Amino acid sequence: MSHHVFSRRDLLRAAGLAGGAVALAACAGPGGEATPAASGGFDGPVEGELSFAHWRAEDKDVFDQVIASFVGKHPKVTVRQDISASADYQSTALTKIRGGGVGDAFTAFRGAQFTTVASAGVWTDLTGQPLVGAYEPALIAAGAQGGRQLGLPYQLVFNMPVTNPDLLARHGYADLPRTWDGFLGVLDGLKGKGVTPIAWPGGDSGNGGQLINSMVMNNAPADDAFAQVEAGTLKVTDDWFLTTLRQYEQLRPYFQDGATGTANEAAMQLFATGKAAFLATGSYAAGPVRKLGARFPFGLYAPITVANPRYTGIFNATFILGVNANSPKRAAALAWLTHLSDPAVAAVYANGTSQHVTVAGVEYTNPDLRAFAPWLTEKTLLAPRFQFNDLDIRTAVEEAAVKVVGGTKPEEAAEAAQRVVDQKR
Amino acid sequence: MRRHWGLYLFPIPALALYLAFFVLPAVQGLQYAITDWDGFSPTFNRVGTGNFTRIVTADDQFANALGNNLTFLLSVVSGQTVLALGLAVLLAARSRGSTALRALFFLPTVLSSISVAFVWRFVYDPNLGLLHSLGVPGVFLGDEDTAILWVAVAQIWFHAGQMMVLFIAGLHQIPAELYEAAHVDGAGRRQRFRFVTWPMLAPTTALVVAYTTIQSFKAFDLILGLAGNPPRSSLDILSTRIYTTFANSQLGYAAAESVVFMIAIGVVTWMQNRAARIGAGR
Repeated sequence: MSHHVFSRRDLLRAAGLAGGAVALAACAGPGGEATPAASGGFDGPVEGELSFAHWRAEDKDVFDQVIASFVGKHPKVTVRQDISASADYQSTALTKIRGGGVGDAFTAFRGAQFTTVASAGVWTDLTGQPLVGAYEPALIAAGAQGGRQLGLPYQLVFNMPVTNPDLLARHGYADLPRTWDGFLGVLDGLKGKGVTPIAWPGGDSGNGGQLINSMVMNNAPADDAFAQVEAGTLKVTDDWFLTTLRQYEQLRPYFQDGATGTANEAAMQLFATGKAAFLATGSYAAGPVRKLGARFPFGLYAPITVANPRYTGIFNATFILGVNANSPKRAAALAWLTHLSDPAVAAVYANGTSQHVTVAGVEYTNPDLRAFAPWLTEKTLLAPRFQFNDLDIRTAVEEAAVKVVGGTKPEEAAEAAQRVVDQKR
Repeated sequence: MRRHWGLYLFPIPALALYLAFFVLPAVQGLQYAITDWDGFSPTFNRVGTGNFTRIVTADDQFANALGNNLTFLLSVVSGQTVLALGLAVLLAARSRGSTALRALFFLPTVLSSISVAFVWRFVYDPNLGLLHSLGVPGVFLGDEDTAILWVAVAQIWFHAGQMMVLFIAGLHQIPAELYEAAHVDGAGRRQRFRFVTWPMLAPTTALVVAYTTIQSFKAFDLILGLAGNPPRSSLDILSTRIYTTFANSQLGYAAAESVVFMIAIGVVTWMQNRAARIGAGR
């Protein structure tokens, strides 16, 4: 009987061959030319199963209502919500959207994500489509690139501290001053009366980072200062940012104890229970704070850091709606976006989710949205922190502020951040 | 054997799966590591060894994550091994309450890491947390110098019970005759531990240390749950650094970081094996 067993050499040879074959197969990575944004393709029938990809699981029920009204108008269409967690949206969902498997209509965050999708040619150009006229022109700039309206920022939030006006009035601060010293005086007065002046989730990068928007809005030499930091034309070791960090240092006694280690839930809890006068996150916290049991009205206030301010507050327009250039159902996707852009439909979404929208002429019935509504006409700046396209640079710059609150000298914190900026550029 | 050539077909499904889900992605990862691909765009450039050069020579954030990871690793491996061994020695003998105590210490292991992260967020909160209410002062996760050690404490709590079970199994393998002989020779409790228990537990200890090392490198979700995404630099370890780079639309660079990460694990594992062999006198 002749035996032929595999020797170790045979096995290594076979493994080598298999590895080589796999390596060759793997050489088929992405390639080809970058695709510009598609235009047109909206002439088809409004029918079939439409995929709407987004990350707001908390809005699912409201979107179900809106979908029902859309299907009432277009009975040949069904809309499926493909919801991914916001943290994974960049890494997984957008890749699927690019492949055209999901997301005939889809959303993207403002800033780096919008730019990435644009560079891959996944947006369909909406310029000139009637639905664009339904929006406040000044609020949809974040969805435009190169003179073309690629997407429509749908949500409008105010990324500035939320106030407890009842508590402030009780301590004699019904009207908040618009000077830095005046603001510090209020904080000092509140602290003296046993109130935590500012609840700040310094341990949560997403929420704690929002305060930097209003801290730099008047200090920065240009509206696109953070974009210039990333480009290398401005530095965070420059005077304007050092001034900002020194002002953070002045705020240090007025944050709650252990602010740099405080999670968002804890900061919201301090505010919701009436122990803190300001919650330094944004208007988007109104819904969660209400769920924590807050019964008082809400206001908004951004610290004014200079003598002659250009801005009184911060807004952000995000949740950018678009039509997938790789979708065969562009007509239906456009019809869905048109439906969302109807002021009556947008009102259902806004009031149901406690989010302002960028659609013009929407009637807000939600009491918190009505309280924030005066800020729709204030002189507000589009949130600077989203000018960063590099997450590492943004984190380093925001961390400089956290470090200062933790006790690091402003100069030292700024230099550490600038080192990261220089290395990541 | 020739008549049974069909036997060679049996490994094919497993090999195919191994090739498809391990070898192919690994080779693709190596391929992407020499590109500047953002993970989304249809185009990219090949940058040769540029990513690796940058990681080694000009990336303070990666170096910081590596340093944090080593601190975390050493803290968890030493703390968890000592705690698990101590618990095992105390609870190995069947006595009243020992089964309940074993179950109690093992309980955290069955929780998901995200649940554990939320529990410890509550424990560490400087205003509303358990430690604060017990009068323990500190900023905990907000303290730049010690934050990673506080995460290590959570990790030790999470997995010590699991390692305790391994040590108990190891203790039950030690022949009772050895203890009897040591007792006859006049060895006290400490000497019995030093000259019988500890040497006989060497294989179990090596297993526990290896397993704990792997867990320390995989602490990703516990860190993100405790620190938020992206974690600040004091809490950044290699796995979270790679994830942040990936989320930062730098897939090519993240792939290169993954290769360096793999090499780091290889070096640590080799050092451990070497130490274990020296310890065993081989």
